[in-house]
Amino acid sequence: MAETEGSIIDSSPRQSEAQNDTNMELATIKIILAGEGGQGTQTTAKILSATAAEEGFEVAYIPSFGVEQRGSPSIAFLTISSNEIRYPRFDKADFAVILQERAIPSVAKYVTPETIIIFDSSTVSSKTFRAKKVFGIPATKLASENLTPKSFNVLVIGVLSQLLNLPAEKTWQMTVQTLGKKFKTEEIKEKNHQIFLLGKDFKLEEDNFTEPTFVPQQGAIETKGEGKRAIIIPDHCKSCGICIVKCPFGALSFGKKLGLFSMPIPEIDLKKCTACDICSRFCPDGAISIEKEKLD
Amino acid sequence: MDNFSPQSWNKNSKPHLFCPGCGHAIALKQLGYALDELGIQQNTALGIDIGCSLLAWDFFNVDTVQTHHGRTTPIMVGYKIAKPQRIALAYMGDGGAYAIGLQSIIHAAFRNNPVTVIVINNENYGMTGGQLSPTTETGVKTTTSPSGKDTKFGPGFKGPELLRQAANEKAFIARASVSNPVQLKNLLIKAIKNQTENNSFSFVEVLSICPINWKTDADQSFQRLKEMEKYYPIGEIK
Repeated sequence: MAETEGSIIDSSPRQSEAQNDTNMELATIKIILAGEGGQGTQTTAKILSATAAEEGFEVAYIPSFGVEQRGSPSIAFLTISSNEIRYPRFDKADFAVILQERAIPSVAKYVTPETIIIFDSSTVSSKTFRAKKVFGIPATKLASENLTPKSFNVLVIGVLSQLLNLPAEKTWQMTVQTLGKKFKTEEIKEKNHQIFLLGKDFKLEEDNFTEPTFVPQQGAIETKGEGKRAIIIPDHCKSCGICIVKCPFGALSFGKKLGLFSMPIPEIDLKKCTACDICSRFCPDGAISIEKEKLD
Repeated sequence: MDNFSPQSWNKNSKPHLFCPGCGHAIALKQLGYALDELGIQQNTALGIDIGCSLLAWDFFNVDTVQTHHGRTTPIMVGYKIAKPQRIALAYMGDGGAYAIGLQSIIHAAFRNNPVTVIVINNENYGMTGGQLSPTTETGVKTTTSPSGKDTKFGPGFKGPELLRQAANEKAFIARASVSNPVQLKNLLIKAIKNQTENNSFSFVEVLSICPINWKTDADQSFQRLKEMEKYYPIGEIK
């Protein structure tokens, strides 16, 4: 890890400007975080900036997101400097942290050939990037293997704290302070700490990136049998679970396939299903359809 | 043929912009079925308010107007005066209807303007992060009432019951819930018919869920909706 981290920091064009002997080698680091509403992009940026500020650095953090609460690109502009920051916005990022493929168009203009890209290799294809320095971390994959896909942002915080040379223990304390209420039990808190440490010690992938398997299933999933035909559209399904709750026969349950927000989508047991159409009536996203097949 | 969604939905704008499990989308689905059933898709204009309701700007293949906060009703009233043969729907949330836009609705009901007002009541301001709204019930925790809504702010605001006092006798006022989509669709059809056939004001409040800001899963959301239905009675009010 130490070597990887060194190589990333050393290659920054701003290194020559480094002044004042602090534990950060750079005078100014400009980071852009690109994710999707609901992923924790802004929380990640908040935790990192708060920790850096406590460490005595100058910090500027600007959130940028759309009107929706979920699902639109959510961007965080983060500047950490040992000098005074005169203007918080920037045009060229030193680091670009890409957590969601759908957010890439919104940050493309801030990425230069010198920008170091860190991306979630379990959800974003490495072929997306043309930059020279691209590092992957299969954050969603590691998080879902260890706890739930939702805690992948804790892993990202771990990775970034290491890259930015922020003290791990303080970053974790800040994470607990910020996410406090979300860690409902000590057990969940401890598991998240393990994920944080996993991220901190993770050796970034330089090539041989993980396959992006945590992406929405394409096309429609068709299930036939028992004289019924059920179709679920994964890239419309937001995994809200309303169809599962509303099914009077318990024919629906969360399966292994992933939907729009890389969360499990329902699968149907046609033996229990009576094609009553209640799920389809409720589905807010129009992602499920069940019909009886016509008898010949 | 599939039965995923109503024919009047704009398929190109899906997946839509509402949160997972949003009650807006369930209500809009029933509105879509109502438009399909009445066959009025080509003849309808939808006015949308500020707040989560604005995410419906490209939801339907019908003419849609984005209006100022709370001013959806008067704009659709004006539209209806200019184009009396068209059908005017005003779609808004509880903040737009009962906080900033209440006077507009009261006077539209009082004057018996032939528009159909649809209000989604999810007991909070969803888009800005779940703040207290007039319809929040006493004791409910929101972002701006972390220890529960204080009694000094009063109980939940009952809009339809208030409008009943002021509205013209021809007006149609009802309350529905997303827990019963078929009843919701039928009440919407009745409301639209009151506009087209009786040339009168109609108003439907839809009790809705907000899983993201309530911080509930699907099951808990519908349980809370059930509690809401005890305080806000469902059915035709006038």
